[in-house]
Amino acid sequence: MNAVAHGANRRTAIRLGLVALAMFSFGYVLAPFYDVLCRAIGLDRARPEFATAIPTALRLEFDTNVADGLPVTIETLDRVVAAKAGGLVKARFRIANTGDQPLTIRAIPSFAPVRAAGLLQKLECFCFDALKLAPHETRDVTVVLLVAKALPEELGAATLSYTLQPA
Amino acid sequence: MTASTETLHLQHADHQAHADAHGWRRWLYATNHKDIGTLYLWFSFSMFMLGGTMALGIRAELFQPGLQFWHPEFFNQLTTLHGIIMVFGAIMPAFTGLANWMLPLMLGAPDMAFARMNNWSFWLLPPAAALLVISLFVPGGAPAGGWTLYPPLSIQAGMGMDLAIFAIHLLGLSSIMGSINIVTTVLNMRAPGMTLLKMPMFAWTSLVTAYLLIAVAPVLAGAVTMLLTDRHFGTHFFKAAGGGDPVLFQHIFWFFGHPEVYIMALPAFGIVSQILPTFARKPLFGYVSMVYAVCSIAILSFMVWAHHMFAVGLPATAQLFFMFMTMLIAVPTGVKVFNWIATMWQGEMTFETPMLFAIGFVCLFTVGGFSGLVLSIAPIDIQMTDTYYVVAHFHYVLVAGALFSLFGATYYWLPKWTGQMYNEKLGKLHFWWSMIWFNVTFFPMHFLGLAGMPRRIPDYPLQFTDFNSVASVGAFCFGLGQLLFLYNVINTIRGGAGRAPARPWEGAHTLEWEVASPAPHHTWEMPPDEALVKKGLRAQLLDQDHE
Ligand code: HEM
Ligand SMILES: [Cu+2]
Repeated sequence: MNAVAHGANRRTAIRLGLVALAMFSFGYVLAPFYDVLCRAIGLDRARPEFATAIPTALRLEFDTNVADGLPVTIETLDRVVAAKAGGLVKARFRIANTGDQPLTIRAIPSFAPVRAAGLLQKLECFCFDALKLAPHETRDVTVVLLVAKALPEELGAATLSYTLQPA
Repeated sequence: MTASTETLHLQHADHQAHADAHGWRRWLYATNHKDIGTLYLWFSFSMFMLGGTMALGIRAELFQPGLQFWHPEFFNQLTTLHGIIMVFGAIMPAFTGLANWMLPLMLGAPDMAFARMNNWSFWLLPPAAALLVISLFVPGGAPAGGWTLYPPLSIQAGMGMDLAIFAIHLLGLSSIMGSINIVTTVLNMRAPGMTLLKMPMFAWTSLVTAYLLIAVAPVLAGAVTMLLTDRHFGTHFFKAAGGGDPVLFQHIFWFFGHPEVYIMALPAFGIVSQILPTFARKPLFGYVSMVYAVCSIAILSFMVWAHHMFAVGLPATAQLFFMFMTMLIAVPTGVKVFNWIATMWQGEMTFETPMLFAIGFVCLFTVGGFSGLVLSIAPIDIQMTDTYYVVAHFHYVLVAGALFSLFGATYYWLPKWTGQMYNEKLGKLHFWWSMIWFNVTFFPMHFLGLAGMPRRIPDYPLQFTDFNSVASVGAFCFGLGQLLFLYNVINTIRGGAGRAPARPWEGAHTLEWEVASPAPHHTWEMPPDEALVKKGLRAQLLDQDHE
């Protein structure tokens, strides 16, 4: 093999070797990185408010859906909320009519698990009434919940779900 | 004109061969890509036998409920070592061996880029295998927590675990060096006229696989190093007692592990993409889309790792993300299957043994792909994870996928390696025998999994008996059939069914068929001239510009 080709091979090999080294370090970086990533995108289960042995907080997760074909979007602004025993919880949603027609819609609520039923009391909810949206209107709506004074030990999380339907 | 350059070339090669070492030195100091390829392939086959024997140990115990042969601890050591040995000892080295043997021949290069490093890449493997075997005999025995080495078991295990960790370090180092060699060879040493988008598919898949390995083998090395320091040096990466997180290991492991499954699948795609056009006597359908599919599979494979972890308590958002990304991989995989079928469509097919294995691959790999899709659905996977359904899934993609492609490759290139034809009747018998008993072994495992039988247990409730007995009978027959393969290969080396011409398959147009059979010790010391390269490309319909 001539010298030029030899040099080219060496350069390629050194570059690839460096990539391998970088990936070795990357493995280690993954340890803190997962934490940061999860916190940043709100996927964090190990937040301090949940990390207590006595269940003083209930993890509330909000889920939203839109009926097929309805030109509406809904965004959950507070996806995960720590509900303190006896406290008030407020969750915000942003609903937008993406179509050119005025719309009347209604949110159908649902929740899981069933055992969460007695623990949360809806004081206010955008699902109580039908919503009228002008063409291209965006509106922020809320849900306010009162959390029971005593939370059962084994229930770590509850999910509340809202599905938008034409009214 | 090409003929005369070739004769010249061969004489030259013969002359060189005399300068090479003989006897054991030839192998220990091997720097010739063909010798190293041969070493890899024999090593891989012996690991296949070793891992296979362990599998039969597993199946013997599972033939009937109750404990007949092994203590549960030893049973778990068998499943763990079987997994590690088959993945790192049998499948991966076989593909590296094939790449070593064939890439220089197919690309028109005189050898791999770094001959001495190549020697190291191989000779790290036997010590690694020895460490794994020795681990069986140390106090506490071999690692027994599964090939995935999850903590906390892997932190609590005896010193066999340390040996396995060192073995994985060696195997990882070997893979990285082997891959650097492959990438450099493919990128820098192709014959004039062979641009990247005119390379044989096997070169493409080897290249992408090597990139994947360079990216993820170090991550696995890091993960097991963290295990090691957790075990002995007071770190707490995965130790909950010290604030660490065992699930973190799973994230890091599968960040390696999912690309790893494609490391075992992509070269198989490459092999099948060589064999099918040869025996269908038609160029590969959709060459460029094949290349793009390989690349997109490789990229996507970094974004799906948590489909192995649906049951660890991931937030719903993460489950959805990984579920959809996993389903997305089925798209480029579907493109490949479509192209293979289209390659065969209206071809003048003949069914020599390599072709049979390639077609078997296409059929059964697709079955494995479908069970993969089922498992990618998070709510379903939560039921199925750690059941025999998963065992069925990955044996369809790894045995009927990777292993069948390796059998196909061996029959396909054996005439080039040995200069002799193999016994076609025996080859076909080997195929049909493997095909039938493979399905008898692994298809019932789908049912066992659906009925809820967990994987990695030495004993099971009575209602699982029938399917387990069937699977065990299948496994012993399948294992026995592999001796047929060994016999056929040895028989071919000893003369087989007569001398093979340089191009035993008239539908094959890649460069390896332009050198004599057996391939002389040194080939393409002068790169093939452009006319020869062009001729092959024209036959593969690759002479137009794709870019
Ligand atoms: C369409 C493509 C594929 C999809 C959608 C897919 C999906 C999955 C999923 C979701 C799992 C996790 C099952 C569980 O543990 O609960 C899994 C496991 C597995 N897959 Fe695949 N897969 C595909 C292709 C492959 C290929 C090509 C290979 C290897 C050649 C492979 C090898 C494996 C292995 C070894 C496991 C089990 C790992 C273990 O837990 O020990 N898969 N697959
Ligand atoms: Cu995977």
